[in-house]
Amino acid sequence: MKKTLIIGIDGVPYSLLSTYIENGMMPNLKKILSQGFTLHQMNASIPDISSVSWTSFNTGVNPGEHGIYGFTDLSPHSYSLYFPNSKDIQAPTFWEILGRTDRKSSTLSQKYHERINRSYRSIILNVPHTYPAWPMNGILVSGFVALDLKKATFPESAYPYLHSIHYLIDVEAEKAREDKVAFMKSLFECFEIRKKAISHLFEKEPWDLFFACITETDRLHHFFFDASKDKESPHYESFLQFYSELDKFIKYLYEAFHERYSEKGFFMILSDHGFAPLKKEVYLNRFLEEKGFLVLKKNGNFYERIEEGTKAFNMDPGRICLHDHDRYPRGTVRKEERTDLLRDIKETLRSLKGENGEKIIDKIYEKEEIYNGPYSGMAPALVCLPNDGYDLKGSLEKKEILGYNIFKGMHTWHDAFCLLPEKIIFSEKPSIQNLTEYILQYYSE
Amino acid sequence: MDHLTRLENKSIYIIREAYYQFKDIAMLWSVGKDSTTLLWLCRKAFFGAIPFPIIHIDTGYKFPEMYRFRDERAKEWNLRLLIGRNEEKLKEGMGPGQGSKLDCCNELKTNALKMVIKKYRLKAILLGIRRDEHGIRAKERYFSPRDSQFKWDYENQPAELWDQYQSTVEEEEHFRIHPLLHFTEYDIWNYVKREGLPIVPLYFSKNGKRYRSIGCVTCCSPIDSNAQTIDEIVEEIRISKTSERSGRAQDKENTYTMQKLRALGYM
Repeated sequence: MKKTLIIGIDGVPYSLLSTYIENGMMPNLKKILSQGFTLHQMNASIPDISSVSWTSFNTGVNPGEHGIYGFTDLSPHSYSLYFPNSKDIQAPTFWEILGRTDRKSSTLSQKYHERINRSYRSIILNVPHTYPAWPMNGILVSGFVALDLKKATFPESAYPYLHSIHYLIDVEAEKAREDKVAFMKSLFECFEIRKKAISHLFEKEPWDLFFACITETDRLHHFFFDASKDKESPHYESFLQFYSELDKFIKYLYEAFHERYSEKGFFMILSDHGFAPLKKEVYLNRFLEEKGFLVLKKNGNFYERIEEGTKAFNMDPGRICLHDHDRYPRGTVRKEERTDLLRDIKETLRSLKGENGEKIIDKIYEKEEIYNGPYSGMAPALVCLPNDGYDLKGSLEKKEILGYNIFKGMHTWHDAFCLLPEKIIFSEKPSIQNLTEYILQYYSE
Repeated sequence: MDHLTRLENKSIYIIREAYYQFKDIAMLWSVGKDSTTLLWLCRKAFFGAIPFPIIHIDTGYKFPEMYRFRDERAKEWNLRLLIGRNEEKLKEGMGPGQGSKLDCCNELKTNALKMVIKKYRLKAILLGIRRDEHGIRAKERYFSPRDSQFKWDYENQPAELWDQYQSTVEEEEHFRIHPLLHFTEYDIWNYVKREGLPIVPLYFSKNGKRYRSIGCVTCCSPIDSNAQTIDEIVEEIRISKTSERSGRAQDKENTYTMQKLRALGYM
């Protein structure tokens, strides 16, 4: 009898978590670590956006295979915004492989399809980018950006319970603009409902694999990350209290799991990206415009403003797309000029300086370096990763290159974490998509 | 009885029933093909003399062809036309370039309509929506209650069986009545063809493009099409697999998604 418990904690950085563990702020997690588990620092997906990173974990393949590059994309041969959802995921998730309900195939599923000898039942709760919910063996309740709880629930029979507890898909982040104290309160309330739903399904439903995500942490960090280590901050205590409650909830789940399945079960915790204090937002499109790579019309919506003279534009967070002639209606970039153009853009981006003359861009990858698979054709030409503190943005409406919003934290690529059984050893720093295979391995042993 | 006549009869029955129940009623006319069809049916229901006013919500951003068509028909058909405009917000410069599209729609459409309903103390509104337009509309009823905040409690609606429509309403609420609910886009075009109904020329192809759905200039994109006559449009719709509103930027789900993403700093 094989059982797996996976706890996803959105946006929790390795560095903060290890500090909190060391300082005794998370005693339960510390105790778990002493019982045969190791905490690793881990790389998120590129870009380090929840929809991409969780999809990379769920499928165990890179975006070139699963086809998700961000929360937004442009519809083919147009400038109109498109919001990818679960229907756009091109590779099977691990619970589809385990449930033997996988209809698509990937390098990973091909490897394991034959080795999973029965259909395992999974419960998947609040994992981002799983909306709308789709058929599987078990129960799926979608996370961010789910719009309608009914469409977020599979099978339909799971809906009445969620409805009865007034289940919340997400906290209303819009509230944070008006009243931060009230928003903090609503984060705790949302976490309570999440815990209630998780505990209910955990205890009342039969399952072989249980995977629940806690996403309130990401919202907490976006709006309050400055309070994470600042004792003077009015939100410091609430911030710590949230982590303390998180610690208690992990203990509850771990102990309930351990009691039932002792050492034989497979247990892991992971985040999908890290977080760092935000110094400035960086509007790369404004920069590209100033440097002559981007030409925008005054009127129009988002990317529809792109004019013929445009060579490149940016999509959230740092996805630089070339304005290819065969891909966009007003595109002019030809194959033969791509190499020089990419070099120019990279050079220009590297010259971007922050407040005290510090470099903003840390790494620039060409798509061929990081993506491979049948869907790498739709990838952006370049992806930039910034130094901590500089949050890259795709906004087209800014007049300045650097600016502020209300956010206090930004995602980081290099500082996600995972907690795994100590017998799993990595020769180099793991990436989120590497973890998935351990789950499948466990079931095929 | 043929298919279109059956659809027509059902609509006319609902229109007459609605007017019998609510004397404080009006019809919402966007000047598009659906509400123009509804207008035509209202005329038929009352033998050319519609006994209630026709509301046009003017965002100020409609196509010039739409204003022209509206004024010509209003004169020709002797309509009592009420124009709803959110003048205050328009003066403040509200438009698709300002803020989010959601805010723009909210102020210039929803709030403008709220003002009209309040000003004329309307108890019911006839609308030309169809069940096949959008997923969410599949849940719509012919008689659909809304509260004073315009909220639609779709989980708590009266059943509508065998033409038994619940058409009474609480104070402070108003009814939305949808006599075209059972028409499909394909039916509409066939009906337009049969009746020789005039429509806004934007629906016909010009330079290889036509509008399949019309609204504000800024939020509509034409589709690739060579259909220059009603017959050609009927044929195009018959074989089309894409959604009618695919050219409409203001798709509700997208708007909501965008709102969620923006709250977290994306876009």
